[in-house]
Amino acid sequence: MTEAADIPAAPRRRRKLNVSLAIGLVLTLSFLGIAFVSLFHLPGDPNMPDVRNRLLPFGTPGHLFGTDVLGRDILSQLMMGARTSIMVGVGGASLSLLLGSVLGLWAASAGRVTDETIMRTADILLSIPGIVTALVLAATFGSGAGTTIVALTAFFTPSFVRVIRSAAISVLVEDFVTAARLYGRGRLFILARHVLPNIAGVMIVQFTLYFAAAILVEAGLSYLGVGVNRPSISWGLMLSEAQQQVGVSSPLAMWPGLAIVLVVLGLNLLGDGLRDVMDPKLARRGA
Amino acid sequence: MIRYILRRLAFFFGALIVASILIFTMIRVAGGNVAAVVLGKDASAEAIEALVVEYGLDRPLPVQYFDWIGGMLRGDLGQSFRTGESVAGLVVSRLPVSVPLALSGLLLAMLIALPLGIYAARNIGKPSGAAVALFSQIGIAVPVFWAGVLMSLLFGVKLGWLPTGGWIPWSVDPVAAIRSLVLPVVSLSVVLAAILSRYVRTAVLDVMNQDYVRTARAVGMTRTEALIQVGLRNAALPIVTVLGLQVAELIGGTVIIETVFSLPGLARMILANVAAREVIVVQSTVMLIIVFVMVLNLIVDLAYGFLDPRIRTAS
Repeated sequence: MTEAADIPAAPRRRRKLNVSLAIGLVLTLSFLGIAFVSLFHLPGDPNMPDVRNRLLPFGTPGHLFGTDVLGRDILSQLMMGARTSIMVGVGGASLSLLLGSVLGLWAASAGRVTDETIMRTADILLSIPGIVTALVLAATFGSGAGTTIVALTAFFTPSFVRVIRSAAISVLVEDFVTAARLYGRGRLFILARHVLPNIAGVMIVQFTLYFAAAILVEAGLSYLGVGVNRPSISWGLMLSEAQQQVGVSSPLAMWPGLAIVLVVLGLNLLGDGLRDVMDPKLARRGA
Repeated sequence: MIRYILRRLAFFFGALIVASILIFTMIRVAGGNVAAVVLGKDASAEAIEALVVEYGLDRPLPVQYFDWIGGMLRGDLGQSFRTGESVAGLVVSRLPVSVPLALSGLLLAMLIALPLGIYAARNIGKPSGAAVALFSQIGIAVPVFWAGVLMSLLFGVKLGWLPTGGWIPWSVDPVAAIRSLVLPVVSLSVVLAAILSRYVRTAVLDVMNQDYVRTARAVGMTRTEALIQVGLRNAALPIVTVLGLQVAELIGGTVIIETVFSLPGLARMILANVAAREVIVVQSTVMLIIVFVMVLNLIVDLAYGFLDPRIRTAS
């Protein structure tokens, strides 16, 4: 921070934007890399109890991050947790992006009645807290990664619809769209050829930010016991186990929490950085 | 203004009806036979049949829906299948924990976020402003349950100032009740404040660059005077909107924080009933929460209309 203060005002702004993007990229790529490695190699079995090696401290040879109350390797659990976060996060954010794009583009390009119907429905869904949807789904269908992804999609889609609709509307009033229409192009062609490429940036940013949000929500649900269960592992589940089994003073509670903060921070910085790079107008507002 | 209020009210009731149909459909239709769900896999066919008849689950779905809504309007939220307790009684017994927790969490979050966001906006480009921005960026990434765990580690275990969890009812010892709410409220509000302060900062930045603030400065006001006298009312609009959207975040945070600190609130009751597949309890309690959120959103929208004449006169 002190270093940045010495640089004159105008160039610093440019520099700061790139820093956000760079840190975000490094954190996100490490996160994806760790999850990728976990597909081929885990230091130990994350679900295998080993009573002789219970609660080993950080730095024990063979168990770099130590073991939990049942002797299960922490590092392996953290790596498996990264995989779960990606599966649920990408699942929830992709489904929301898909549904949100279809409905958002439809609302933007259709008549007033369709537009109003879609947008008012989105408003109603927005006022139902995500956790409530997740609880209702868990009560009816039981908990699990699939239920969590469905709950996230129900919660996030309305935001995607809003953002994509307003971005699409701003493209649809452009002259080149009018030209295409006069040339006789159909609605679908215009949406696919002219609108989509122009709102791709908005979609990427929205996806990144909601990927992060999905990881937070998933961790919260798993912490409550209505998200991911063993043998799958989630960082939220690890934290809940650490708190239940050895009380709140456990250093075990540090690692999963830290993992969540770093990954969510990384994705948010990446999203903000991408937005600044792709849409200088928003960047200047300091949003 | 009256047209604006009427339109908002129409949307409010419409939204309630749609939400109630959604919840009912999800639980009663998509979930399959409610009696079988409640009694579990090992239940005999006779036991399931008996429960179906007792609760009228064999009637047509629209009849059951209107029965449920009619009951809700009369204050009858149904009973638990297992214990036979009334849902209304269960809810009321939990409110003294959840309501103070959620409301003071929101209040404290605003008390932190408003000055912080204004400070960050005033000091944009300076290290102090950047430090506040960094605090919100990190705060947004902290899961509320981890904030709770860290708080109880530091102030409960290490320093021993406050209880790490548990609850003593107001009627037994009000001071102890407040003490057991301090850490949950602080954990909840810190995370909410991080999110809110970012919006406050953006809103204030927008206002500071407006012509009317420049004019106010030109007639001799200091930056702070200009901001307070002409800026804040304008900055209030986006902040009020965001506050409405934060209600969903607040509900989620309250559910989690009650679990972290083992507080016997509404959220923990719902969780226990989700685990027990007590669908009637879940259905009615969830609907109550949605009503609460929608009422708050209605208040926010009406406040918006009062603050901004453009909103209430627009078509």
